[in-house]
Amino acid sequence: MKPEFELFDRREFFGVVAKTAAVIGLAGGAEAGAEGQGTANPFAYDISRFQKTDPKLIAYEEVTRWPIPHKDARRLAIGPDDQLYVCAGNYINCLSRTGQRGLELALAGPACCVAVARDGAIFAGLRDHIEVFDSKGGRVARWESPDPKTWFTGLAAGGNDVFAADARKLVVLRYDRTGKIAGRIGRKDAARNVPGFIVPSPFLDVIIHRDGLLRVNNPGRHRVEAYTFDGDLEGAWGKPTAAIEGFCGCCNPIGLTALADGRIVTCEKGIPRVKIYSASGEFESVVAGSESFPENAHACTDLNDCIHGGIDAAVDSDGRIYILDIVTSDVRVMKRKG
Amino acid sequence: MDAKPPVNGSVTRRQFLRNGARLMTMTGLGVAAGALATRSTGAAWVWQIDPAKCLRCGNCATQCVLEQSAVKCVHAYAVCGYCQLCTGFFWPEPNELTTAAENQLCPTAAIKRTYVEDPYYQYSIDEQLCIGCAKCVEGCNRFGNGSLFLQIRHDRCLNCNECAIARTCPGEAFRRVPVEHPYLLKTTSR
Repeated sequence: MKPEFELFDRREFFGVVAKTAAVIGLAGGAEAGAEGQGTANPFAYDISRFQKTDPKLIAYEEVTRWPIPHKDARRLAIGPDDQLYVCAGNYINCLSRTGQRGLELALAGPACCVAVARDGAIFAGLRDHIEVFDSKGGRVARWESPDPKTWFTGLAAGGNDVFAADARKLVVLRYDRTGKIAGRIGRKDAARNVPGFIVPSPFLDVIIHRDGLLRVNNPGRHRVEAYTFDGDLEGAWGKPTAAIEGFCGCCNPIGLTALADGRIVTCEKGIPRVKIYSASGEFESVVAGSESFPENAHACTDLNDCIHGGIDAAVDSDGRIYILDIVTSDVRVMKRKG
Repeated sequence: MDAKPPVNGSVTRRQFLRNGARLMTMTGLGVAAGALATRSTGAAWVWQIDPAKCLRCGNCATQCVLEQSAVKCVHAYAVCGYCQLCTGFFWPEPNELTTAAENQLCPTAAIKRTYVEDPYYQYSIDEQLCIGCAKCVEGCNRFGNGSLFLQIRHDRCLNCNECAIARTCPGEAFRRVPVEHPYLLKTTSR
């Protein structure tokens, strides 16, 4: 039995000292670590709640993903045979429904937008002009723009008309199939109650809807506008907010496409997301939320501003939605769940 | 005729005093020149924030030795998009696009929104109210052109030898700049 006040022997003494030192060291380390991390920024600009999408709202799932052949992608379009046309760099590439590479069109400069008519004619929008190709890639014509400052960022091809969205001159040009300008749509005109496009970054898009009207995004006003081919404004919808039902940031949406039943698919940057609205503008569901585009979202959190991010979308005859991520240079194929 | 050196390296009293006087004179001149040079350096360089490196961390509002930081938000009007929905001015989810307090992002309401023409608005900074927290800078950079950015205002800055904000700046955005060019201004959105 040990005496009540027995002194430590040497081994016991060193053991106690070592344990005490370890406890002090751990406590000190933890404190130092806390200091090193610093305190949370009391002035943080927090949008994290908008970067996660309620799963109940997501109606689509990714089927597959294809890398595109060239960097610096801008837009994509669907042809009459459900082939996908992607403009990236100085090229327009045709991809089959399975992602196989087909026709490649080399252009004189960066391709900004593309559209394909029912007869297979391919319209490639370069910054300041349009080049026309037949379905086999033969160059047919070159259509000049009326203004040297033109910056085409969206194209739509109908039976007799081609519509070209000029993000710099804030107008949609209506060309006939011979390349003659037949009208100008969307210019500010108080007499026609047209408020004018506001396009802070180069993303003006145009589509031809099944109802016979055009849909044009007006990103600075955070809405989608409906015009007749003659330029009469028939309606508009959209709400400026980062919440899921609206359009976020300074200027969204940046891209449009439509499902066969007339619902509108919108693309946004900043908080990159693809959503579906009814033809009259009621929010319906999400195709892909911000969490699906981490690299694209990061394009706007970097030290640069948010002109480098962006996405575009197109719909095939089966209702599959193709999403072009211009940051990761890939196409995601989305199919409705269930 | 040359004077003979002292034997065994010894010096005369006269030589000793002469050498001592020379040494004191040189030392005094050196000290004066040094002090002049130091003072000159202190006045010729001032602290400034490189907007390209700023991470909008909030330290500028909390770390400055002044009660209200010498760092202020400034606005490059040539870069600004004059947006109706300015993400530097509005909360990400505003009730409506008005100047009502609940819609404003700035904790001190230091940004003034003025109507220009449909749908453009001008945004200006009230420096008396700005605390340099960079909340608006983050909003503007994240979604807009990045026309709002932070700068040290030299009518307030004490130009401390060791800047308390620079010491904690995670982006190492603080640097010394010549007093002739005391600001690092943005001229483009990139």
